Amino acid sequence: MIENLSLLQIAIVLFVTGSLLGLFSRNSKFTRMLTFVPTMIASFFTVLFSVITITGKPFHFIIPNVLPFINFEIFADGIAAFFLLVISIVSFAVSLYSIGYMKEYETTKRTSVFGFLFNIFILSMILVVISNNSFFFLIFWELMSLTSFFLVIYDHDREENVKSGMTYLIMTQFGTAFILASFLLGYIQTGSFSFDVFHNSSSSFPFLTKNLIFLFAFIGFGTKAGIIPLHIWLPKAHTSAPSNVSALMSAVMIKIGIYGMVRTIFDLGGFGLSPDYSWWGLLMIVVGSVSAIIGVLYAVIEHDMKRALAFSSIENIGIILIGLGLSVVFASLNLTILSALALVASMYHTINHAVFKGLLFMGAGSVVYATHTRNMEHLGGLIKKMPWTALLFLIGAISISGLPPFNGFISEWLTMQALLSSYQIPSTILQISVAFASIPFALTIGIAAATFVKLFGISFLSRPRSEHIAKIKEVPRSMIAGMSILAAICILFGVLPFLGISLLDTAFHLLPHPASPFDAITLQNNSAKSFANLSMPVVVIMLSSMAAAIFGFIKVIGGKTRKTTFSTWDCGFGSLDQRMEYTATSLSQPIRTVFKTLFRPHNKIQKEFFGGTDSYLLKTLKVESVTKNIFEENLYLPIISSCIYIFDKIRKLQTGKINAYLLYIMITVVLLLLFVRLSHNV
Amino acid sequence: MYSIAEILIGVIQGLAIILLSPLITGIMQKTKARTQKRIGATILQPYYDIIKLIKKDEVVSDQSSWIFKVCPWINFVALATAAFFIPLFLTYSPFGLAGDLLLVVGLFALARFFTMLAGLDVASSFGGLGSSREMMFSALLEPALFLTIFIVALTYGGTNLSTIVAAVAGATLLPHPQLIFAAIAMFIIVLGETGRLPFDNPATHLELTMVHEAMVLEYSGKSLALIEWSQAIKLMILLALVVNIFAPWGISSSITVATLGIGFISLVAKISLLAVIIAYLESTIAKWRLFRIPDLITIAIASSMIGMVLYYL
Amino acid sequence: MESIQLDILTISGSVLLIATFGVVARRGFMDWLNAYRHQSIVLAGVTAIIGYVTGIWEIYIAAVLTLLVKSIAIPKILTYVTRRLDIEFKTETNPYISLRTSIIISALLVALSYFLTQQIPFRSDQVVNVLLPVSMAQFFIGLFVLVNRRTVLSQVVGLLIIENGLFLFTMVLTHGVSLIIEIGILVDILVGIVISSILLFRIGRTFDSLDVTNLANLRDD
Repeated sequence: MIENLSLLQIAIVLFVTGSLLGLFSRNSKFTRMLTFVPTMIASFFTVLFSVITITGKPFHFIIPNVLPFINFEIFADGIAAFFLLVISIVSFAVSLYSIGYMKEYETTKRTSVFGFLFNIFILSMILVVISNNSFFFLIFWELMSLTSFFLVIYDHDREENVKSGMTYLIMTQFGTAFILASFLLGYIQTGSFSFDVFHNSSSSFPFLTKNLIFLFAFIGFGTKAGIIPLHIWLPKAHTSAPSNVSALMSAVMIKIGIYGMVRTIFDLGGFGLSPDYSWWGLLMIVVGSVSAIIGVLYAVIEHDMKRALAFSSIENIGIILIGLGLSVVFASLNLTILSALALVASMYHTINHAVFKGLLFMGAGSVVYATHTRNMEHLGGLIKKMPWTALLFLIGAISISGLPPFNGFISEWLTMQALLSSYQIPSTILQISVAFASIPFALTIGIAAATFVKLFGISFLSRPRSEHIAKIKEVPRSMIAGMSILAAICILFGVLPFLGISLLDTAFHLLPHPASPFDAITLQNNSAKSFANLSMPVVVIMLSSMAAAIFGFIKVIGGKTRKTTFSTWDCGFGSLDQRMEYTATSLSQPIRTVFKTLFRPHNKIQKEFFGGTDSYLLKTLKVESVTKNIFEENLYLPIISSCIYIFDKIRKLQTGKINAYLLYIMITVVLLLLFVRLSHNV
Repeated sequence: MYSIAEILIGVIQGLAIILLSPLITGIMQKTKARTQKRIGATILQPYYDIIKLIKKDEVVSDQSSWIFKVCPWINFVALATAAFFIPLFLTYSPFGLAGDLLLVVGLFALARFFTMLAGLDVASSFGGLGSSREMMFSALLEPALFLTIFIVALTYGGTNLSTIVAAVAGATLLPHPQLIFAAIAMFIIVLGETGRLPFDNPATHLELTMVHEAMVLEYSGKSLALIEWSQAIKLMILLALVVNIFAPWGISSSITVATLGIGFISLVAKISLLAVIIAYLESTIAKWRLFRIPDLITIAIASSMIGMVLYYL
Repeated sequence: MESIQLDILTISGSVLLIATFGVVARRGFMDWLNAYRHQSIVLAGVTAIIGYVTGIWEIYIAAVLTLLVKSIAIPKILTYVTRRLDIEFKTETNPYISLRTSIIISALLVALSYFLTQQIPFRSDQVVNVLLPVSMAQFFIGLFVLVNRRTVLSQVVGLLIIENGLFLFTMVLTHGVSLIIEIGILVDILVGIVISSILLFRIGRTFDSLDVTNLANLRDD
């Protein structure tokens, strides 16, 4: 207990130190070291703290009456500690990466401010997770949103970055409003801001209140998590922010939204939900499926690396939500074991996504660092110039595509098994709806693999598509080290899934399941036969022995052969160049055509002729393929334009005459007094 | 948990798929030749091809990176490992404890992922074109495949292949109408996954029509041998799955020489028959236009959706 | 014995569903006609199976009549009438909803009909249990084909599917007690087809097109 507290104290002090050091070091040569090394150490201590908390007792700490009647409470149970672990692992790697990465900004920007904001951002996320009081939760939540907003517009010379920052700010305030509403409902019921009180008295909440609290929390936290249709800030903010910030936002910050949902659900009943609440789960499954499929469809047609990764975050949030929703459905029908399975699947995907998305954003950041472009149409051939970045990015790509033996496969396997277990649900309609959720889920997995083939293949493989790529160099070692940490975790969590699963088991108190990391995952069916087995260590051994066997076989049979290097087959026309390669847009063209109802692609063709109108001699031909963002055009634009319309009307109140304003004051006072009078009568 | 004999038979089952797979390809090629009124090469031709190719020198594109070089190996290793999870002529495989049907699908996806990357790696338009088409096929086939797995897994109580095949062997006739729909979907999936007509023509080298061939166009020598062999293994795995899930007759459920023998012979007969049917079908239909393929895939999805509904009601 | 009957019933119902999908998944008129012919043959088979299960001999007659009228006479007549029409009238090139989406929608309609028939009270009867949702699914799919397609010819096919669904529906619910009515309906359909064929022919002559949207021109305004 004592060590716990001191660990946390050390971490917090270090975060603050890092931020202040950054602020005061004033762009000296050591700013990067001074700001990011404390962050690293602090993250390391947080990792220790969370691991100790998960394996040991929950950590509870109160400073009474910080504000009148409001205690400052810190409470870290297994759930909070698990999310702390997610935050701190990623922030450790990202701060290591940032030491090298921020060099790019040193000449143009003030890195000291960045270091300050960066540290405060991580600290605020940690404090959000461990604060046990809705009042302080909201304060830290706002702090997190504001610091991340400033980090998004850090590169504010470009107007588009400021614009996307504003979108982000508006959406995040929209979400906070709903969270506030949900907390206020809890306050009305209990008269307290403490989560403990919410938790203990939630069983006596009326049915409607419970539903409303859930719905508001879902919308509020969902906005932060980036569910569709509240996602529009996400691709913009993630693209505009510096890549290390995008890595933190995408890998960690949107998970805080998930944490909020988990916390709400557990506070409102956890595993003891009644069947009346299965619609919560169903709502989450539906929203999750929609987010997954639409997110991945937008990711696959994107040719901006970071935008594609951002859309893929929406997709993965969708997959996490499917698992969480399944867990709620099972919990509400009193299928505790299945609920635990679905929860493990969803939380495993949470940590996996944090790890590989952090890795991928850092990889994209390295590409931007080296080439100064995010547009895949200008990249290509990077694998020869940046072999390490390419390898690490490939590991991330394989993991996120859900391929064995990497970690994405395990969590998607678990989610699939949770979907399959829907046969134990007693209601037929629920069964079929859950079963049909596997269609978008499977389509998502398929298209996600295609997305990452495109991302990796177009930017890293084949021939460079622009000239300046010839001059680029591999990124600094600290960046590679930062990425390697997460890549190693990707492999570790893939090959030894029980590392993660036992962690989750103890964190969420699911099953007394002391498993060694080398165990096989075993699920049983009704007749106690094996429903499914998966033992990744064995699979890896099989894969490697097969590799050794076939290598030996080929060597023995084939004997010694020569390898000749020659140019690629060009059908005898000679000299292929980069203009004949497949582009990012053409690579995803079939998928774009199949789903044309969603994308509404159309080609703008501009022709220029020799001699004016002679339509036979073409001088130049320019084809531009445009896809629409239907959410922005069909949902947000009407809302925005109607708002502007209404505000125009309201502006007429503002006449500019002092008498009119006085009249408004008078009317307000009279109405208020009337209201007070009337309400007292009743 | 399993005796030495069982583990041995498990290994033999895996090796049987790896070693017999070129034979199935040979049978299909022969059938196609005969339906086209040609004599055709012997059914052992794929073996000769593979051995010949292994001994040949290689030409590698100067644009390619290590992805291009490891792709055939990853292809072969992934697919050959997948072969060990398939119960072939015995209703269970001891490797069922290590992985299930979803893992097999995952290993297929791993192989395909690298093939698509290798197609992009050589910087020719052909490779990109093949990868681009394969991206669409694989993405769209996934839901059909998962739904079919869903039906089969729920009907027979597990995604563990040993559980499935054992339950199939114990079941009478065809008591489950959903399996008819699953079988239709599965047949379309097999055609798509292995790149047969009308999805893709394995015999063509015309840029308008090729998909898989376009991705592996640059390969030669050992690498080509590995690619061809792993394609054959994939075909054999899928055919064995179809046969063992939808037509389990003759499979052995105990380890005696007689039943194992019957199991082996009936399996080879059934797979060959299926291969002949597919090859015959290929000779009678033309390749479809690329954007009509999704129609066919949606038939598979719709079929498995109906199967799902039938299962639950 | 009972379970085998049930198996046969379910399997035949499934085959009938598959045959119905043959009509949805195709574009050309002759393809539809073939699909319709196959569907009718399967329908006749299913009817015969109902006869076998229930043991009522009149149903066999209905089955034979179905076979004769629907799988031989109607396709022949339609082929005869449309043989001089241009191919462009016969192919559905531009349905309102794309072919693949309509396949998925049809599958959902099948799910819907199974869902609807869950509530029907007399579930003790095997025949009703198994084949009622199938007949409703056919009805819905036929209706959907009518809604979705543009050419008059495909609408005729949609109508025929609906009729098949209704035939199965009455057969399942009444066990074909009223053979006279069945024969009446069959003759009715036959006459209906002949009349509509003549109309089709005339429409094709008048408008140079069989697109139903052109029929809006007939409106008096």
